[in-house]
Amino acid sequence: MFALVGRSVESLRQVARGLGTVLMHAARNPITKDFPDSMPHLAGHFRGRLALAVNPQSGDHLCISCLQCERVCPDKCIEITSHKSPETNKPELINFKIDHGLCMFCGLCTEVCPTSCIINTNDFEMADYSREALVYDLRKLTLTQDESAFYFNKKELPMPKPKPAKPAAKPAAAAAAKPAPDKPAATPEAAAQAKPEAKPADTAEAAKPAVAPDVDKTKELPKAGSDSAETKPEDKDSAKPAENKGEQ
Amino acid sequence: MTTATVTVTAPGRLPTTDGNIWEIWKFIRISAIWLSIIFGAVWLASYAVGGLIPSLLDKYMATSVAAQNIASILRLLTPLVAVLVFIPINATYMVLAERRGLALFTVRNGPNRVGPDGFLQTGADAIKLLFKENINPTGADILMFTLAPIVFFAPSVFGALPLLPAVTSENGLFNVLSFPTGIFYVLAMSSIPVVGIVMGGWASNNKYSLVGGLRSAAQAISYEIPLVLAIITVCIMVGTLNVSDIAWMQNPWELSQLKGADALARWDGLHVDSQAVQDLRSIGVQNLGNLAFFNWNIFGGDTVSGFLALCIAKKVAGGAMIFKGICALLLILCQWLLCGLYMTGACAEINRIPFDLPEAESELVSGYNTEYSGIRFAIFFLAEFTNLFIVATIAVVMWFGGGSAPIPSSMYAPVMDALGFIASNVNKLLFMIGVPETAPILDPKVMSGTFWAVSKVYFLVYFAILVRGTLPRFRIDQLMDFGWKRLIPLALILLLAVTYLKELI
Amino acid sequence: MTVELTSPELKTEEMLINMGPQHPATHGVLRLIVTLDGEIVKHVEPVLGHLHRAQEWQGQNRTIFQYQALIDRVDYLSGMFTSWAMARSCENIEGLVVPKRAEYLRVMLSEMNRITSHLLWLGTYLIDLGAMFGFPFYPFREREKLFDLFEAVAGQRMMFNYIRIGGVVRNPPFGWFDQLKYFLDEFNERIDEYEAIVTENPIFLKRTKGIGYLSKEVAMNFGMHDSCVRASGIPLDLRKTKPYSIYPEIDFKVPVREEGDTWARYMCRIAEMRQCVEIIRQCIEKIPGGTTEELRKGLGTTGPEKDDSKDLAPEMMLMAKKQNAGLRVKAGEGFSAVESPRGTIGCYVVSNGSDKAYRFRWRNPSFCNLSAVSHMLVGSPIADVMAIFGSIDVILPDVDR
Repeated sequence: MFALVGRSVESLRQVARGLGTVLMHAARNPITKDFPDSMPHLAGHFRGRLALAVNPQSGDHLCISCLQCERVCPDKCIEITSHKSPETNKPELINFKIDHGLCMFCGLCTEVCPTSCIINTNDFEMADYSREALVYDLRKLTLTQDESAFYFNKKELPMPKPKPAKPAAKPAAAAAAKPAPDKPAATPEAAAQAKPEAKPADTAEAAKPAVAPDVDKTKELPKAGSDSAETKPEDKDSAKPAENKGEQ
Repeated sequence: MTTATVTVTAPGRLPTTDGNIWEIWKFIRISAIWLSIIFGAVWLASYAVGGLIPSLLDKYMATSVAAQNIASILRLLTPLVAVLVFIPINATYMVLAERRGLALFTVRNGPNRVGPDGFLQTGADAIKLLFKENINPTGADILMFTLAPIVFFAPSVFGALPLLPAVTSENGLFNVLSFPTGIFYVLAMSSIPVVGIVMGGWASNNKYSLVGGLRSAAQAISYEIPLVLAIITVCIMVGTLNVSDIAWMQNPWELSQLKGADALARWDGLHVDSQAVQDLRSIGVQNLGNLAFFNWNIFGGDTVSGFLALCIAKKVAGGAMIFKGICALLLILCQWLLCGLYMTGACAEINRIPFDLPEAESELVSGYNTEYSGIRFAIFFLAEFTNLFIVATIAVVMWFGGGSAPIPSSMYAPVMDALGFIASNVNKLLFMIGVPETAPILDPKVMSGTFWAVSKVYFLVYFAILVRGTLPRFRIDQLMDFGWKRLIPLALILLLAVTYLKELI
Repeated sequence: MTVELTSPELKTEEMLINMGPQHPATHGVLRLIVTLDGEIVKHVEPVLGHLHRAQEWQGQNRTIFQYQALIDRVDYLSGMFTSWAMARSCENIEGLVVPKRAEYLRVMLSEMNRITSHLLWLGTYLIDLGAMFGFPFYPFREREKLFDLFEAVAGQRMMFNYIRIGGVVRNPPFGWFDQLKYFLDEFNERIDEYEAIVTENPIFLKRTKGIGYLSKEVAMNFGMHDSCVRASGIPLDLRKTKPYSIYPEIDFKVPVREEGDTWARYMCRIAEMRQCVEIIRQCIEKIPGGTTEELRKGLGTTGPEKDDSKDLAPEMMLMAKKQNAGLRVKAGEGFSAVESPRGTIGCYVVSNGSDKAYRFRWRNPSFCNLSAVSHMLVGSPIADVMAIFGSIDVILPDVDR
């Protein structure tokens, strides 16, 4: 009899404890983020939509049509059309299609690209009304120079080597070839120079100290709770495909 | 731990155990606005139908017999109008309150897009439901299929009508419903929805619905017994079946107005003349008003508050006081247990967690609800929330004092005076524009009563929402086991205990 | 099917219920054909294959480099473990020794993955039992924090593609270890909160104690390996019985219980989550090179340029052998197994020296655990089916591959 009463009291106490714990949660901040009013702050190597970066300094396209990404893709969603350029005798890119409906965002193509041309952006808002609209071609995929600089900086990628001068201008090439070997060695300085250019695109991250042997990386992120203050180039980027979709 | 000075490059969420008043304030704000809308609308509608129009008819068409008949019919229909206006608006609010309440408990935002802070969310849901196709499953008995939601919903709504005068201090608009066997009528009407459940399950022509319907019916009739026994026990303690009287006797303010033989007549009628009652009359029944919420049945009602008043006035002393004090404590314990018993039985009646097996998604995909869509589903859905409100109202009237304030009457007098002042001025304004003086719109007792009753009812409703967010559900045989082998013996024991304890005090 | 009873006028039939592929509680597309006698389950037949995606065929038709990205999806809740099993079996063939730092990172991230898997199990189990509207959101809050950490290091919240043959892909960024420490510090309190709400709750106890008993013999005969057997009294955990990677250097306990019922499985998993916290803490202390800040300070860099340079001490490297798209594994056969949240994931590789493997064979724990489900379900009322089934922690992609 008393055991029964004791058990009942104990059960009630445990239920009350559970209710109290749940009630206490009302006094905690909600963890819901107000997407799309506040965009999530994503890491540098977040594997979002694929895009083709250009050289942040010169604006040249970085793709050399090696077709490595097309070969390595497990889903076979990349389709590259290229031909051998009659002038330089090297492959030249004509068109570059990625079917984002097939892509599984594994990032293997970005790993094998020798020039860091194809990269994963931080964009994940690709929803559209038809499967055909998910096939992005060269125009939609190419980033602007500012966006490329932003991503090169965020992903801590090494700056691309400059393209060698055209063989037709031989004397100029001889003169240009001289500073060219210096350039890779001076890449950290070039990187440091490129940083201030890239800064306007990305205001919230403090600049890396140029050629920094001391590693006090004071890159402060906006606090997780605040709405992202970065003027993300993706906003411009997402405006671009929207326009392109409109045109299509 | 303070995390403000961390320099992280990794995106992350910092520990979120900081205080959160803003969300709670938003919730309170929404509730206050919606509740004002609900009860304002209800009061206006009832006043218009039951007060304004009949009094206008009386004044300007006093000779016409037809007008007199219409006036009487309108007066009789007032409670119905009140209820009909109340149900949809209340459901609109309660669904939103439940979703936002559950979101508060689970550190989320609830609906906050449709309208400011999700104000109009339920409206949008209701419109969506109305646009859905009314599916008639093949092989289903269409007549029974359509009647089932109605049979489920209507009786409990009609059963709640006697509570209206209890909550509004027997205002003239609702007094027609104040009849001597009020609680019996309420309990009888709450037994009819079981038929609706079985009808719904059977007429759906679906194995799962049938099983769900039968389970729900079994659960409902099993848990009705502790529910009814709990209420009957309170009626035994109080001594009457009249809902209005039960509410009146717990109201400190009303008790404090009992000066003089005429006022006492009603009190005398409800109390068997005994030594304790004579002593209480000799010190003045109005002193009970100073004991505030000890007059509520949850704290033993008249019995214990009378005992406390006598102790304070030193009419009981020594061994008798200790003995009666122990009995009083036991009575209070019994009353708390009875209230808990009632709420458990009520949750089982209305199929709420932890007793929502018939609607369990992961077990039977919604039970007797499975085949319903559109307006019929909307009625079932509406019924669940309205039933919750009604059940909470019964609990408040029986145990928590109906419309009374938990404040001693001496401290509450200024409030009532202020309300009276406001009410009389507003009434004067109305009379100036031509409303007959037999139909005042505001009454301080109704204002105070509605406010306190609504607060208490929604407190219980939020408690039910908290329970919904915490507990898993019972299995069907455990449910029946719990009901028959645990709750019914407890109810019977409490019935005996309260009957004797009341006499001993 | 009719069952003849002694009184011929009372004829009963057994009812066949289809807990079909579409069911809110079968944790995936699983069809259970349940034969009921009244309310008691007489026979259960799981019908598998609704989620068959030919993962083993994919292994034969993709290069090994490509396949590493695909196998996260076999068991989506324990992506690290499947990658790890494959990586280990190929490393066994090649004879690669994975650098210590990479091993520590593998263990840390795998234990974090174990926590996320168990948290999801906890949430969905409570949904099966009926506490749908409150409790399940709390484990998901913790998962979100862990997902942010995963995203920072691996690039994705769930399909990591992080553990490769020979090591791991990259070092975590700055601040990652601090964030992880914050998480660990508050996670133990969170588990206490979950226990306050669930463990002693009388309704929960009634639903889980004594339900779904799994005996030792049945567990051993069916080759079950995870919390199910540890809850039945068999102390089988690959991290202790056949230690691999750096587990011998880490001090942790394996929770074992004797009761063998649903409640014991629940308690085992809760205790495992606490042990994961211990393991990760020790890894953070012992990892060669320390946090990323310390590592790069020693290297004199701020970025990842030198994280995989050849000048690094061998234990601080990330990969034993740098991978390229034409990754080849020497001809041979190799098998290795890891202890995943659901049991033992085993990968058997037959390689013929080219860049495509000849055969990949996966031993998945959910398939073996599911085979014993009929023993656990027969004799219990149908209302218990979901409670028991949920406690086995079956993931359908794991079953069907």
